Amino acid sequence: MRKALYVVLACVVLSLILSPCAWGRAKAIKIGINAPLTGDIPKVGEGTRYAAEMWKADIDAAGGLKVGKKKYPVELYIEDNESKAESAVRANTKLITDDEVLVIVGPQSSKQAVPAGEVANNWKTPMISPWSTNPDTTKDRPYVFRGCFLDPFQGPVLANFITEEFGFKKAAVLYDVASDYPKGLAEFFKEAWEKLHGRGSVVAFESFTTKDVDFSSQLNKIRNSGAQVLFTPQYYNEVALIVQQANSKGIKMPIVGSDSWGSAETVELCGEDCYGLFFSTHYAAAGAKGATKAFIDRYEKKYGYIPDDVGALTWDALRLVQSAIESCGKLTGRIEKDRKCVRNALAKIKKFDGITGNMTFTEEGDPIKCAVIVRISEKGEYEFFKSVCP
Amino acid sequence: MTPDNPTSEKHYLRLRHNVQHRLSLVPILGWLLGALLAVILEQLAGDYLVDALDMDKMPSLLGILAIAKDIKYFLWQGWDQLVIIGKMFAGGAFSGVVSVPDPFQTPRVLLYVFLVYFLPIALFGTLTIRPANWMADKLSKLPSAVSVIGYLILLYLVMHIWADMSAYRGMALRFTLIAVMLTLSLNVINGYMGEFSCSHPGFMALGAYGASVVTVVLFANDKLFGAALLPKFLAPAFFPLALVVGGAVASFGALLIAVPSFRTRGDYLAIISLAFLFIVKSLIENLEIVGGPRGLKGQPDLASLPVVFTWAVLCIWTINNFVRSTLGKALNAVRDDEVAANAMTVNTRRTKMTAFLFGAFWAGVAGGLFAHVLRYVNPATFGLQKLAEVLAMVYFGGLNSVYGSIVGAVSISLLSEALRPFELFKWVIIPLLLILVMIYRPTGLIAFREFDVRSVLKPKQNPESEV
Repeated sequence: MRKALYVVLACVVLSLILSPCAWGRAKAIKIGINAPLTGDIPKVGEGTRYAAEMWKADIDAAGGLKVGKKKYPVELYIEDNESKAESAVRANTKLITDDEVLVIVGPQSSKQAVPAGEVANNWKTPMISPWSTNPDTTKDRPYVFRGCFLDPFQGPVLANFITEEFGFKKAAVLYDVASDYPKGLAEFFKEAWEKLHGRGSVVAFESFTTKDVDFSSQLNKIRNSGAQVLFTPQYYNEVALIVQQANSKGIKMPIVGSDSWGSAETVELCGEDCYGLFFSTHYAAAGAKGATKAFIDRYEKKYGYIPDDVGALTWDALRLVQSAIESCGKLTGRIEKDRKCVRNALAKIKKFDGITGNMTFTEEGDPIKCAVIVRISEKGEYEFFKSVCP
Repeated sequence: MTPDNPTSEKHYLRLRHNVQHRLSLVPILGWLLGALLAVILEQLAGDYLVDALDMDKMPSLLGILAIAKDIKYFLWQGWDQLVIIGKMFAGGAFSGVVSVPDPFQTPRVLLYVFLVYFLPIALFGTLTIRPANWMADKLSKLPSAVSVIGYLILLYLVMHIWADMSAYRGMALRFTLIAVMLTLSLNVINGYMGEFSCSHPGFMALGAYGASVVTVVLFANDKLFGAALLPKFLAPAFFPLALVVGGAVASFGALLIAVPSFRTRGDYLAIISLAFLFIVKSLIENLEIVGGPRGLKGQPDLASLPVVFTWAVLCIWTINNFVRSTLGKALNAVRDDEVAANAMTVNTRRTKMTAFLFGAFWAGVAGGLFAHVLRYVNPATFGLQKLAEVLAMVYFGGLNSVYGSIVGAVSISLLSEALRPFELFKWVIIPLLLILVMIYRPTGLIAFREFDVRSVLKPKQNPESEV
C-alpha cells in the first residue's frame, strides 16, 4: 500500500520533470467540431470527423495555419453530441468556455444546431453549421453561419425543375410528419408548386411517422389522385422503401427527392428501382471536376468510400473558417477579440470557391449558393444533371 | 512490507486506524466548510497553480475528463501498437513507437486536484474536528428549519463558487440537479410504489412544453405566439408559476393514464405507460401551435443555478417527507402486498393515484427547468433514450431510497459527462457498470435506506469528550 504510494509519487514527480515546457509550445489555434459520433446518425458524424481530419492533415503538412506572418499549429477538439439537443448544447458550452476554441464547426442536424447556435451566439463565438437547413439556426444570430442552402430555397428549385423538365401540372407529396426536415421541405415545396400551378395543384399531401415501413395506403391515394410526379424529401432508408413499394404497385410517375437522398446508402438499399430518378443536392460526386474531384479521390482512397454531402460540406466549412482566420490578419491571443475578428471576416466572404459551389455570405449568416440536380444513373452513380442558382 | 520489520507494519496499521477514526469524527459541517475553503482557494489561486504546473487550463469536473482523455490516448495508441506488432510478425517493417500525448495532463491534473480539493478538505476536516463538532452541536439545538437552511446556504455557496469558474461546470451542475429531480420522482413510482412506469419522459415533455408555453407567451417575442404580453423584468417572478403549470399539466396527463391503467397490474401498467409516452410524443409532433417536430425555442434565460438549486432542494424535501409520511408507508404496504394492505384499511387505489400524480408533478417541474436550461425543446428529446437514461439512474442508485436516487443521478450524469472522450465506448462502459451493479447489488447501490436529514447533520462527537 505505502510502497504503491511511493511509486505513484515518484511517477508524478518524474513526469512533471520530463514534461515539455510551456515556452516550447506555440499557442495553437483551436477549432471545435460538434458532431453526432454516436446516436441515430453516426454515419454523419463519421463523415464530419473524416473531413476534419483530412483538413487538419493538410494544415499540418503546410506547417500550420498562416495568419499574418506567423504560422500557428491547429488543434481539433472533436466532441460527440450523441445526436441529442441537450448534449449538443453541453458540447458547445464545453468547447467555448472550457476548451476556449476560436470557432466551432457543427452541429450538423437542425435539431442540435438550433439550440447549440443559441449558446454560440450568447458567448459570441463564431459557429458554422455545414448541414443544417432550418432557417431558425442562423436567424437573429450574428455569430452563427451555415454552409448550405436553406429549405425555402430548395423547395422552389425543385418545383421549377419539375415544371421545366417534365411540364407536369399535378404533384403529390409524401413526407414524415414527425421529423422537422422532411416536414419543412414538404411545406416549402407545396407552397412553391401552388404558386406555379394554382391552388389545389398538389393533389395529394400524404404523411407518415418516423420508423413507418409500410406506405401502401398513402401510395394508393397518390396513385388515385391523378398526380404526375411524386416528391418525397425523405432520408435514405425510407427512400428505398417508398420507391420499391411504389414500383411494386405499378406507380409509373417519376419520384423526385431532396438533398437528404444524397447518402451513398440510398442506391445501396434501393438498387435498380432508384435508377433514373432525380434529386436536388449540394454537389454531385460522379463526373466532378477540379478541387471537388481531388477531394473525393483523396477521401475515397483514405476511407474507402465516396464522401456524401456532409463530408463535402464540412470540408467547405473548415476551408471557410481557414480563409476567415487568414484574412483576419493578426491573432491577438485574446480569445474574445479574435472570435469577433473571425466572425466579421466570415460575414464578409465573397465568392468563396468551395467544392460544393461558390458561396457568398450575407449578413444573416446564410450563403448564397447554387443547388445541383442529380440524376441516379443506370450504374447507380450520382450524375450531375444541372445546376440551379438563385 | 518485509516480514523482518514488524514494527513498521504495526506502525502502518495503527496509522491507518487513526486516520479512519479521525475521519469518522468529522461532521458534515466540517466537510462543507472544507469544501468551501477548497473552492475559494481554487478561485483565488487556481490560475497561478495552472501556470505553475504548466497545464492548459483548470481541470473541469475534478479532472476526470482530462484523465479520460489521456487514458483514451494510450488505449488507442496501444491498439495501434498491437496492429504494428501484428504487422511485424506478418513480415512488415517496424514503424512508430508509443508516444506521449502532448501535453500529457494526467499527473499534473492529479496533483492539481490533490492540492486544490483533496488536501484542503482533508486537512480542514481533520484539524477542525472539535470546533466543527461544537458548531454542529450548537446548530442542531436551533430549530431544524434554521439549521438546515444554514447548511443549504453553505452547500449552495460551494456549488456557486465552483460553478463560477467556468460556464461548462455550471451547465453540467444544472443538468445534474435536474437529473436528480427526475430520478427521485421516478423512484416514487418505480421504487416506493413498486410499479414499472415507462411514461416519465412523457411527463417531462408535458412539463417542459407547459412551462415553455407560459414563459414564451408571456415574455418572448415569438413567431408562433406573437409579441410578449408582459415586460421582461417580471419573468423571474412568473417562472415558479410556469413551472407549477408544467407540473400540473404533467399531473393531468398522469391522471389520464392512471384511471384506465390502475385497473390492471404489473406488466400492464408498463405497457400502457409506454404507450402514453408515444402518445405524448406524437401529440406534440402534430401540434403546429407549439412548433411540431421543429420544436419550440425562445424560452427566456430563467433557469440559473440558484433557481435550479432551490427547486431541486424543494423536490428532495417534499419527496423525502412524502415517502416518510403515513401515505408513504401505505405506499410501501401496497407495493409489498396490495390485498393485505387493503385488508389493513389502506385505501390502495387512492394511495397509488396520489403517488403517481405526485411523481408526475415533479417530473413536469424538472422538464420545465430542463427546457429553460436548454432554451429549446423538441419532441424527439423525450423518447426511449431519455427513458433508458432515467431508468438507469433509478436502478443504478437504488430503489426505494432518496439517497440512492441522488447517488444514481449524480454518478450517471458525471460518468456520461466524464467519459465523453471515449465516444462510442462510453455506451459500452456505462451499461457494463449497470450490469455489474445489477449482479452484485440487485436493488441498486443504496437501496431501501431512509434519508434522515437530522441524523446526517448531527455532530459526530460529543464536544465535551476528548479527541
